[in-house]
Amino acid sequence: MTPTRPRLLHVRIIVVLAMRNLRRQMRRTMLTAAVMVIGGALLVFSFAVSDGSHEDWIDSGIRTSTGHLTIEQPDFRLSRKIEDRLATDVRWETERALASPEIAQHVVAVSSRLSISALASSAAGARPAQVLAVDPVAEARFSTLDDQVVEGRYLEPDDRLAAYIGVGLAASLELRLGSRLVVQAQGTDQEIAAQLLRVVGIFRSGVPEVDQTVVHIPLQTAGEWLGSAHDVTNVGVVLRDSTAVAVVAAHLEHALVDPIERGDARVMGWREANPALAAAIAIDSFGNYLIFGILFIIIAFGIVNTVLMSVLHRHREFGVLQALGLTPGQTGTIVLVEGLTLTAVSGFIGVTLGLLATWYFIGDGLDMSALMGEDMTFSGVVIDPVMVPQFRLVRIVQILTFILFIGAVASIYPALRAAKIDVAESMKFER
Amino acid sequence: MSDPQRPGLLRPTVFVAALVLFASVSPARGQTDPRDIIERIDRLLRGDSSRALATMEVVTEHWERQMTMEIWSLGTDYTLVRLRAPAKEAGTATLMAKDNIWNYLPKVDRTIKIPSSMMGGAWMGSHFTNDDLVQESQMIDVYDVAVAFDGERDGVMVWELRLTPKPEAAVVWGHLEFLVRQDDHVPLWAKYYDEDGELARTMEYSEFREFGGRLVPAVMNMQPADKPGERTTIRYEELEFDIDVDPSFFSLRTLQRGR
Amino acid sequence: MRSPAPVRTFGGLKLSFAESPWLHIGWRNLGRNRKRTVLTALGLAVGFFAVVFIVGWSQGIMVEMVENATSLVNGQIEIHAADYRPERSLYDTIGGRAGTDVDALLRTIDADPSVVAAAPRVYAGGLISTGQATLAGMFMGIDPERELTLSRFLDPLVEGRMPEPGRNELLIGEEMARQLSARLDDELVVVASGADGSMANDLFTLVGVFRTGLAELDGSFAVMPLGDLQTLLVLAPSRIHEIAVATTDPWIAETTAAGLDDVLSSSDRAIEIVPWTTLNPAMVDYVALGEAMYFLIIIVVFSIAIFGVANTMVMATYERRREFAVMLALGATPRAVGTVVLHEAVALGVVSLVLGAVMTFPLMVWFHTAPPDMSWAIGDVTIMGALLSPSLRVEYDVPFWIVSAMALFVTTILASLLPAWRAARVPPADTLSGL
Repeated sequence: MTPTRPRLLHVRIIVVLAMRNLRRQMRRTMLTAAVMVIGGALLVFSFAVSDGSHEDWIDSGIRTSTGHLTIEQPDFRLSRKIEDRLATDVRWETERALASPEIAQHVVAVSSRLSISALASSAAGARPAQVLAVDPVAEARFSTLDDQVVEGRYLEPDDRLAAYIGVGLAASLELRLGSRLVVQAQGTDQEIAAQLLRVVGIFRSGVPEVDQTVVHIPLQTAGEWLGSAHDVTNVGVVLRDSTAVAVVAAHLEHALVDPIERGDARVMGWREANPALAAAIAIDSFGNYLIFGILFIIIAFGIVNTVLMSVLHRHREFGVLQALGLTPGQTGTIVLVEGLTLTAVSGFIGVTLGLLATWYFIGDGLDMSALMGEDMTFSGVVIDPVMVPQFRLVRIVQILTFILFIGAVASIYPALRAAKIDVAESMKFER
Repeated sequence: MSDPQRPGLLRPTVFVAALVLFASVSPARGQTDPRDIIERIDRLLRGDSSRALATMEVVTEHWERQMTMEIWSLGTDYTLVRLRAPAKEAGTATLMAKDNIWNYLPKVDRTIKIPSSMMGGAWMGSHFTNDDLVQESQMIDVYDVAVAFDGERDGVMVWELRLTPKPEAAVVWGHLEFLVRQDDHVPLWAKYYDEDGELARTMEYSEFREFGGRLVPAVMNMQPADKPGERTTIRYEELEFDIDVDPSFFSLRTLQRGR
Repeated sequence: MRSPAPVRTFGGLKLSFAESPWLHIGWRNLGRNRKRTVLTALGLAVGFFAVVFIVGWSQGIMVEMVENATSLVNGQIEIHAADYRPERSLYDTIGGRAGTDVDALLRTIDADPSVVAAAPRVYAGGLISTGQATLAGMFMGIDPERELTLSRFLDPLVEGRMPEPGRNELLIGEEMARQLSARLDDELVVVASGADGSMANDLFTLVGVFRTGLAELDGSFAVMPLGDLQTLLVLAPSRIHEIAVATTDPWIAETTAAGLDDVLSSSDRAIEIVPWTTLNPAMVDYVALGEAMYFLIIIVVFSIAIFGVANTMVMATYERRREFAVMLALGATPRAVGTVVLHEAVALGVVSLVLGAVMTFPLMVWFHTAPPDMSWAIGDVTIMGALLSPSLRVEYDVPFWIVSAMALFVTTILASLLPAWRAARVPPADTLSGL
């Protein structure tokens, strides 16, 4: 016999024996498998829902903020001054980079905006306001504010003096559709400039601060008002999925290497721009890991119990096998294979079930509005009660690996026990 | 949280504007074109300098106050206001120089710089708003003027002028109405309306006197339409035009000096 | 002859419970198959631990959130003049222009047994300036001693100390300090509109910096002693805007508010007494959501735990059918077999729950009194405008523990009894030969 054949033969024997044992104790196998199937299915489904809802939170959060990625002048975030804006040429470069075909598949929306603090006045009084000058079409794709119209409409491409204001500001300044509104701020020449606007739409975001201070106007109006031409204070990007952030960021940093080096621009990810949101997601994930960690400890116990029981009941059988020439190591391996197979098969079935459940809900999502209502906010982001689960290959791989790991760990002790069986002693047993 | 009451930031161009605006030219010139009246007054305003001593009385729902102040102005870019009374606040001063605003507070002997974005609410708690005061452009450029009525009221020949904002003019009013005496071009009142045609406030002029060779209303009374019990009344005690003052006067040193 | 003690019949023999052979057999059975017993007991114990810990942790989060929403700054109940909200005008003090006897009011409130603390406040908007940098701010006048018993945001301070009355000292938020580039002992100019219309201004010394974690507060609030603010604003000492009240438990706020209303509204003041549940209904909804969620979690975890336990028990019992067959062959009735198993299950249940308690409760106590802080891993989070510091904090819920214990007990018993019963009905000969 050549050296390889005995090993092959032994492998076959091990596997056959392991399978046969599982089949023999069908009832026991089934019961344990059942727990693992449920556990696996739950794990997959729960993480799918969790991943999906996190992606939703991120999407909502970044759309009300500055996007998955934002390109701004490095000092702007802290200073919030118009001097720290992106020069027109940097803006065009950025927009070109974002239109490039390499990353086109990831990019959902791009919006360049000029953000400035101003004073808004009407015949009834004056209030501080946060003016956001935007390109209406791009902004409509980017943000969700345009959908929260209560009266009137969002800005349109041909608008010049239009203003889109919140219900809070409308109430304080006694504004209606068509009302006159004057905004004043310090322009690029350091002089205060005033601009007439007319209210074309009123929104309700549900966030009081936004409803009381945010005003959207067309970007070109701001250019005339403040003397900023086509300059903007930031370019924001919404991606298809938050996993694409790294790729797109790298692409941007490469394309904008000159402005970045000059200190004229900086690429910032959403985690940096929205730390509260990042933290919220981390806490939620942490909770999930904790719960499932504990659950699987319980399941692991079940497996250990099952496998160990089967070992303890097959003393004689293992003794006979060893008498016939199987090494202790190989005996142990049989048990290991048993445990792993049990875990793997039931885990696999469970994962499949979980995937099926995910697939079922992937269309319309899990509607939790009966439990949640419509007004939940988490880190300042309004939460959609409909949770759409998300399929992520990485997750599935993680889960399968974890299940196998549990199976392996749970089988170690029983395998060791099987290996340590004394051949002569075992003959005293009936089985 | 409602808008906090912000103490006044000052650009009393409206006072100067208001009084100079209606400072009449010598009655001998019988101009009847309303645009010309306003245009001439605008021209008078440009490059003009003035110094005034005035008392302001403010009556609100919760309190009544009298203040005496000294006001210097140069064109539309420079203004310095210093309080003389009440004694507790004497020496408080506000300097506006080219869109930067500083307040000097004598009680603590400190000057604070106020970013223009923080302007809001009433000036010095009065019924004049900063909206009035940030008037960079000339009235004639911002409003179209028409004569709405030419005739007799209470035995006096008057014009009622209606000022309508030009398209895209950055003003909050729907329209303004002025009642002007025909013989000496003296304003009797000005009414400010919102775009729905509702009266928001009324400015009344009275006690016309000669100051620096011009006939000027010494008393101006601002009456908000929605709060009938409240008012702000300004009375000019002294008023000089074309004084000898240059931009260097409008400095932080002058602000803090107290004189 | 009848023995006075309760008597049971076992296979025709009259014996007392403690003497019954089946209990002995049951106990011994457990001991005989040590490994199986230990493993099963461990499984049960872990199941118990899981359920108790997870629920405790979820409740911990809820409690922390509610506490932060209420005890951080606002208290569980707010008392204002009836027309104070929503404009929050300077002039709408409790008792109107004349004010009120603040001390008497506080004493009456303190007298309510469900009230833990009450603190008066005065609010005004204005400007704070270092000279170079000026910010719009909200001033909050407090009684330093009382405030410390009520709210938590001033203890600990990021730096410095509490302001002392009469010395024009103040505290500002961390974000405001950063924006003003202000440091301790700096002099800040405070400007506000006085109640008499004057432009109130004064110098205050910065003696401390606080941090609530909420950007709006940290960037715009300045805190000083009540009397100093009243002096600045030309408000009489009897005029305050708010009394914040802390109750022993956030969830009794409504009842306490109603009680206070009865006592206080009888005088000629028009006041409103508002519990946090009215001021922040979204938070109430969120807690309800949390409870619904962890109800779901309980069901899931419970089910898995119970399934796992049942599974083990069923297996164990099934594998002993030969043993039962022997017992039957020796003359035991199926019922007797059932009784043995019952006793075993009870014993096992007790052992497991003791083990479970040993595993769980020290951890629960530790995590309740000194929860390990997870913010190094995660950072702080705001939910519904309330700050949450991620930590493994758990809450006690004794009724729930008892229910969990009972549920696991019952499961153990049922899961072992049923298959035992079935196994015992098979004729012994069949069982014995079948192997």
